[in-house]
Amino acid sequence: MNKKMTLAGALAAALILTSACGNDDKSDTSQAAGKVELTYWSWAPNMDKVVEGWNTTHPDIHVTVNKQDGGDPAVTKLLTAIKAGSGAPDVMQAEYQKIPTLVSANAVADISKQAGSLKDKFPASAWNSVTLGSDAVYGVPQDTGPMMFFYRSDVFDKLGLQAPKTWDDYAADAKKIHQANAKQYLGTFSANDPGWFTGLAQQAGASWWGVQGDSWSVDINDAATQKVASYWGNLVQQGVVDNKPMYTPEWNAALNDGTQVGWLGAVWGPGVLEGNAAKTKGKWTAALLPQWDTAKTANGNWGGSATSVTAQSKHKDQAAQFIAWLNTDPAALKALAGDSNVYPAANDATSTALTSPPAFFSNQPDFYAIAQQAGQATNPFTYGPDVNVTFSSYNDAFGKAAESKQSSRFTAALTTMQQATITDMKNTGFKLAG
Amino acid sequence: MTLTTAVPVTPAAAKPAPRVGSRGNLRRSPTATVLLLLGAAYCLFPVLWVLIASTKNAGELFSTLTLSPSTHLFDNVRTLSDYRGGLYWRWMLNSALYAGVGAAASMLVSAMAGFALAKYAFPGKSAIFNLILAGVLVPGVLLAVPQYLLLAKVGMTNTYWSVLLPSIISPYGIYLCRIFAAATVPTDVLEAARIDGAGDWRTFGRVALPMMRGGLVTVFLFQFVAIWNNFMLPYIMLGDDHLYPVTVGLSGLLNQGASQPAMYTSVVTGALLSIIPLVALFLALQRYWRVDLAAGAVKA
Amino acid sequence: MRASFSRTRPARPAPYAFLAPALILFAAFLAAPIVYTVYLSLRKVRVKGLGLGAGSRTEVWAGLSNYARSMTDPDWLPSVERIGAYGAIVVPIMLGLALLMALLLDAGRTRVGTFARTAIFLPYAVPAVVASLLWGFLYLPRVSPIVDAMQGAGITPPNFLGSSWVLWAVANIAVWGGTGFNMIVLYTALRAIPSDLFEAARLDGASDIQIALRIKIPIIAPSLVMTCVFSLIATLQVFAEPMTLRPLSNTISTTWTPLMKVFRDAFTRNDIYSAAATSVVIAVASFALSFGFLKIVGARAFSQED
Repeated sequence: MNKKMTLAGALAAALILTSACGNDDKSDTSQAAGKVELTYWSWAPNMDKVVEGWNTTHPDIHVTVNKQDGGDPAVTKLLTAIKAGSGAPDVMQAEYQKIPTLVSANAVADISKQAGSLKDKFPASAWNSVTLGSDAVYGVPQDTGPMMFFYRSDVFDKLGLQAPKTWDDYAADAKKIHQANAKQYLGTFSANDPGWFTGLAQQAGASWWGVQGDSWSVDINDAATQKVASYWGNLVQQGVVDNKPMYTPEWNAALNDGTQVGWLGAVWGPGVLEGNAAKTKGKWTAALLPQWDTAKTANGNWGGSATSVTAQSKHKDQAAQFIAWLNTDPAALKALAGDSNVYPAANDATSTALTSPPAFFSNQPDFYAIAQQAGQATNPFTYGPDVNVTFSSYNDAFGKAAESKQSSRFTAALTTMQQATITDMKNTGFKLAG
Repeated sequence: MTLTTAVPVTPAAAKPAPRVGSRGNLRRSPTATVLLLLGAAYCLFPVLWVLIASTKNAGELFSTLTLSPSTHLFDNVRTLSDYRGGLYWRWMLNSALYAGVGAAASMLVSAMAGFALAKYAFPGKSAIFNLILAGVLVPGVLLAVPQYLLLAKVGMTNTYWSVLLPSIISPYGIYLCRIFAAATVPTDVLEAARIDGAGDWRTFGRVALPMMRGGLVTVFLFQFVAIWNNFMLPYIMLGDDHLYPVTVGLSGLLNQGASQPAMYTSVVTGALLSIIPLVALFLALQRYWRVDLAAGAVKA
Repeated sequence: MRASFSRTRPARPAPYAFLAPALILFAAFLAAPIVYTVYLSLRKVRVKGLGLGAGSRTEVWAGLSNYARSMTDPDWLPSVERIGAYGAIVVPIMLGLALLMALLLDAGRTRVGTFARTAIFLPYAVPAVVASLLWGFLYLPRVSPIVDAMQGAGITPPNFLGSSWVLWAVANIAVWGGTGFNMIVLYTALRAIPSDLFEAARLDGASDIQIALRIKIPIIAPSLVMTCVFSLIATLQVFAEPMTLRPLSNTISTTWTPLMKVFRDAFTRNDIYSAAATSVVIAVASFALSFGFLKIVGARAFSQED
């Protein structure tokens, strides 16, 4: 009997010990009278520093940042917590393309009462992403990701090339660069980055989803996207651009050793280039994306996110108050741009927070002027409620296409994506137009 | 590697080595030596690579000759240690806690169950054993989501418990313990203890447990490694990165999303450091590493 | 084994008490989630209209439609075939190497035994995610010392992550990580063989190879069978390696293995219901395969003592 007690006791003691450790972070503060504790899931770097600015000035509403692994894992966890009925944070960073998914899963709260008045502080395209064109407000825009083109000006100069103004120029430059040095590429077609391809399609005028009354339309295989896919298919087939994914050690090495001499990135690109190829600083130039039609400058978005209040939050008013501060207060915008390295969506961010170029582009004082121009040229685009199905279908279909290096497979991949998306939406019961 | 030679090779107490004397008399075989060294080289090569890679700074990792070491190991360790106020070391402590406490509890629970299954006859024994065997075959990855959904119903997600409790049950550990108990605890000894008036718990604690010790260490190590290396369960269960074990933490450093560069140098250095405790544990306890998967079958 | 020591006594509560913690945990963290998975596999979500706004989403019974959808998915069959091929590579090579190394160690004709044993076992300490990350670096041409060395030797290195090699590249990580553990299992079994069983053969002039083939391997056959079963199960569940390598190449799709499909459905597509259905199919296949294999080899490994 004695032994039994000891064994059980040891086990219990071990577990009690660990459970005590589990609560050490937050248990004591939440008890104070009138004080509200909020948790905030975000993957932006140094978000805890930005939030410190709020916590010191707002003693009654304390926000704790839980850093997440990026947009997809965070959404997955949130949706699981919503399904389970508990475990969601109060505040959540949400990529624009995930907002329809989150709304459809009833995961984020409508804060039109608390935050509706912020509309005029943001560009219409960003605001539209958080309202989905309705009267509801499902978040406050935090950052946007207008696409930009980065290129190695030293390599361009050496070959006597001009920065490409049009996609035809880009193709011609890519050819010349690869002919001059068979190891060099102006870019790569990345089958692993659906957000990147979506941005390029958006620039060409595509909008893959649409709302018509009470039904959805799906238009992934439209003429604009076909144009983009066959353009890249041809370049890959000719072998003048690479067909390997971005963000791999291989790609990093290529940025470092000067075999990738251009990148179709976005406004947050300087941080990526600096982190991956710091020693190439000063050799890059940022420009607008090459254009399809120079008479009508257009652009697409890659990345960008809003801050939303989750449906499970018990303190929606306070949470809305916090996210309004986070995304509109000048001090917060400055911290977002400076510490978290994001490009704030708020209209007046350019004048208050983005006064000097990012360190990696200190040679280009007009960096944010170009970024602003890119942002203003951004085409409208509507995301659907099953964007992840479309995106994972992109990974697979374009992965095969890129590996085959056959132009025809690129356009065929769009048919696959369109079908996968429609099949999934029908199966879930969404009403589809046509 | 000198450490390893210091550790005696004698197998654990469970079974006496059947042959000791015959070794010294054998002729050396260069072929055997070469083959074993080739095998060792194959297994050590990636470890050597990570050792070298962790001495490089971010630029060098992607630009210098892959096998030429650099001098930035301590800088890398410092950068990693500075990351968000030493979070990496908290992850290591969490891993140690999950794996240490989880494996100890698992060992005890498995020992009790294995002992009962090996040494008692009782109604339902076969059904219970078959049930547990079936559990061996279920992939842990599949269980993480339903486990989350069920734990969320009792509000236990995002706590140390949510990772610890599911880690304690190990059908494989029970299966091994049953084999160890059957092979190392003679029934007459138990009968003798019983005749001396010892109760079941006393017999288990004073007689069976010490006899099973060698096997139990194996089960402990086995479960320790399984928990330490587990990714999916903590990945799903935890939202607060102060509770992460090192596997989930490292994966987060790698997957920062498109707008952030992956922290490859920190990941590589972190990967190296995260292997060290396990390697140390292996070397310290390697004489216990005897996994007798089929001992029961051999005897039967 | 001898009869259990309480056989002659009336039923007692002790064994149940010993089993209680295990059974409670088993029920809570294995049985309940399994039952819940089966339940989820029979459910699905229906939305109305645009699916936006509260109340537009309801969970309903789905019958077997999730199973039908899962099994008729054009990616399903290729992924099943792929792990078939993967298993055909991994299991024989890994167990062959493990057996060879175990026999070499057991023969005791070398001074490097302890070193080699530790070195070969070392990869077991490396989490699959980390191992795949390391090998990923070693596979990518621009950062790989292997490619450097091959180029230095005038050999054109293959594209390890290209379509013709990628299966081998993933298999290699599994072999690397798993050989040591299986070697220890087999070595433990070899060490348990009493030496008089083969000393006589040795005196009659039998070589080490003959002793290994005729005496040692037949004796440790039960251990080989068990390593085989566990390797087969691991094959069906291959996940972490291709998942980690996937972003590095175009050749590993999101449904490259059945478990990756489960992951994609559950985590990327947030369709936990299809994922549950596929999970059930994989679990059933695991049972069928392991017990089928044991039946074929006629092993009594899982059988009980008495």
